[in-house]
Amino acid sequence: MSTPSDARAAPAAAPARRLHRSTLLFEALRIGRAFVVPALLAALGAADDGPGRTTAVGLGVLAVPALLAAIAKYLGLRYRLTTEELVIDSGVLSRRHRVIPLRRIQNIDVRQSWLQRLASVAELRIETAGGERTEAVLSTLAWTDAEALRAELLGRRAALGHAGMEIREAAPPAETLARLSPADLALAGATANEAGLAAAGLLGLLQLVEDLPVQVPLPGVDPSALIPSPPAVGIAIVVAALLALSLLAGWLLSIIGAVIGYHGFTLERAGDELRKRYGLLGRREGSMPIRRVQTIRVEESLLRRPFGLAALKIETAGAGPGQRPRAGAEAFLPLARRRDVPRLAGAVFNDLDYATLRFHPVHPRARRRRFLRYSAPLILIAGVTALATRPAALLLLLLVPLLFLIAHKQYRHMGYALAPGYAATRAGFFNRITWIIPDRKIQTLHIHETPFQRRHGLATVIIDTAGGGRSIASIPDLPREEARLLLDRLTTRATRTAASSPIPT
Amino acid sequence: MLQEGSATAAAAPAVRSLDPRVIRLWRVRAALWTVALVSAAGAVGWLASGPPAAAIAAAAALAAGALLAGTAPAARYRAWGFQLREHDLYLRRGVLWRSTSVVPHARIQHVDTHCDPLERWLGLASVVVFTAGTTGGAITVPGLASAEAESLRDRLAALGVRETGAEAPGGDPRSRDVDAV
Repeated sequence: MSTPSDARAAPAAAPARRLHRSTLLFEALRIGRAFVVPALLAALGAADDGPGRTTAVGLGVLAVPALLAAIAKYLGLRYRLTTEELVIDSGVLSRRHRVIPLRRIQNIDVRQSWLQRLASVAELRIETAGGERTEAVLSTLAWTDAEALRAELLGRRAALGHAGMEIREAAPPAETLARLSPADLALAGATANEAGLAAAGLLGLLQLVEDLPVQVPLPGVDPSALIPSPPAVGIAIVVAALLALSLLAGWLLSIIGAVIGYHGFTLERAGDELRKRYGLLGRREGSMPIRRVQTIRVEESLLRRPFGLAALKIETAGAGPGQRPRAGAEAFLPLARRRDVPRLAGAVFNDLDYATLRFHPVHPRARRRRFLRYSAPLILIAGVTALATRPAALLLLLLVPLLFLIAHKQYRHMGYALAPGYAATRAGFFNRITWIIPDRKIQTLHIHETPFQRRHGLATVIIDTAGGGRSIASIPDLPREEARLLLDRLTTRATRTAASSPIPT
Repeated sequence: MLQEGSATAAAAPAVRSLDPRVIRLWRVRAALWTVALVSAAGAVGWLASGPPAAAIAAAAALAAGALLAGTAPAARYRAWGFQLREHDLYLRRGVLWRSTSVVPHARIQHVDTHCDPLERWLGLASVVVFTAGTTGGAITVPGLASAEAESLRDRLAALGVRETGAEAPGGDPRSRDVDAV
C-alpha cells in the first residue's frame, strides 16, 4: 500500500473527461418534475388569485436558479482516473476537488432509467465504506462510457489489491450464479408480501358474510349486542370490499413491478466480485467486492416457506464508526429456491460448508415467554371489555390457541449454528431470517438479560457486525451458561481471525 | 451478581470498577432530571386542573425522582465492571437490564476520551471505543478518573493498532480501517 502522493506522481496524466451532453436535458427534466409540474398543478388548482397562484409563481421562480445550477454543474464537472484514485472536480463558483481512493470503493452501480435508456446514457454511482451517502454520482454518461469506466475502476482496483501498480489484463471469467425467469419473478412478486393473501381472505370473508343469516343465535349472548344494525353492516361490507380490491390491486402491482423491475435478473461471480444486472425499461448493473460482504441473510417469509422459496440479502459495510447506519440490506437475489441456498452462500463465502450447519435450539422457555407476551395483553383486553361492556369480547379468546401456535413456531425457528469460521443465527415466524456471519466480520458481542429472562436464567446473545441496518443477528433465550460459553467462543474466534489475516478475503 | 463476578475473575486481571465519584455524577444528573420532571409534572397538573393538582403531581414526581436518585446510582456503580483482557475489552453493566459486552482489540477503529462539564467538575472522563459495528458501534466506559481514562484510551488505541495488523505502515489509515472491515 503506497501513499497517495506516490499515486499522483505516477504516470497518471489521464485526460479529464466531462459528462455527456444530455446531462443538460436530463437535469432540465428533473427540475421540470420537481418544480414546474407542481407549479402547473398549483396554478390549475387555484382560482385567479390566492395561495395556489403564489405557490405556482414561487415554484417557477425557484426553478430558475435550479436550472442555472444544473448548467453550472455540467460545465464545471470533470473527472479523471489515475492509477489509484478517481478525481472529480466540480463547481464553477466554489470548486470542489474530490479524491476517491480506488481501494475505498465498495460498490459501483450503473443505473439507467427508461428515458436514459432511450438516449443510451446512464448514471454511475460509487459508494465507499464510511460514507453515509453515495460518494459520487456521475450523471449522466454515455452508456458505453459508464460501462467502460466501471470496468476500468474494477480492473484498477483489483490490480491495486493484488500486485502493486500493475493493471491486470482482462477480468476473470464470470460464472453465472442465478438467473430469474419471468415466471420466477412473478412468483417473487406474488409472494413478496401478504397483500394477495389478505385480499383473498377478505373476499372470502365477504362471501361468508353475504351467506350469513342476518341474526346468528348464540347461546347466552344477546344477538343485538353482537350484530350491529343493518346500515352499519352495509357500510362495513362496502369498506371491506374496497379494502379487498385495493389489496388485490397492490398485489397485482407488486407482481408486475417485480416482473418489469427485475426483468432478466442475472447474478454472477467474476473473480472476487459479485455482479448483478436487471431491468426491462430502466437498467441497473451493480457490482460488489465479495470481501466487503459482512453477512448473508436468508429470508423465508411465511408465504414463501410452503413453496420452498427464499430471498437472499447481503449486507456490506455501510457507515463508518460513529455515523448513522444506512438502513437495510441489499437484495442479493430476490428469489431463490431453498435447495440452492447452500450453493449461493458457498459462492459468496468460499470456505463455508452450508450443509454442515446444525442449528442448536434455544431454551424451551422461549416458547412460554413468547406465548405469555402475546396472550397476556389479549386476555387482559378481552376480560376488561367483557366485564365492562359486551361479553362477546370473550370470543377474542379463541385466538389464544393461534398465539400459542405462533409462539411454538417462533421457538422452533430460533437457534444458532457454528461452522468452522462461521456463525449462523435464525429466528422469526412471519419472516424467518437466517444470518450467516463470518468470524472475521464480527465486530462486538453482547449478552443482554432482562429481569424477566433472569427469572428463568435465560439470556440473549447479540452478534454485531458492520453491516446491520435496523435488525441485527441475535439469539434470544439461551440458558445463561450456554450464552456465556457462546460469547467466549465467538470472542476467541473473532480475535483469532483478526490476528492471522489482517485483510480478509 | 456474585456469581457473575466470580465467573469472570478467573481470567487474569480482575474486573475493575468505575471511579466511585461516578455515583455523585449520576446523582447530580438524576437530580437535574428530577427538577425537570417536577416542573413538567407541576405545569401539566396546573394546566389540567389547578394548583392543588399541580402540587400533588410535583410531589409525586419529586418522590419518584428522589427515590431513583438515592438508590439507582449506587446500584449501577456496583453493577458496572470492566476488564482489559489480552485480546479484548470486557464490560458488564446494568442493574435490572443487564448487559455484557466484548470488544476485540482487533476491531477497534478509534478511541476517544470525552467529558462534559459535570464530569470535568468531578475530575472524571468517559472512554468511548468505536468499532465498525452498527448497533454496538460506540461503547462507552463512563466515570473514570481523568488520568485513568487517558491511559486506558492510549492502551486501547495501541492494542487496536497492534491487533489490526500493521500491514499498512505509513499508509492511509482510513483505507486500513476499511480493509479491516
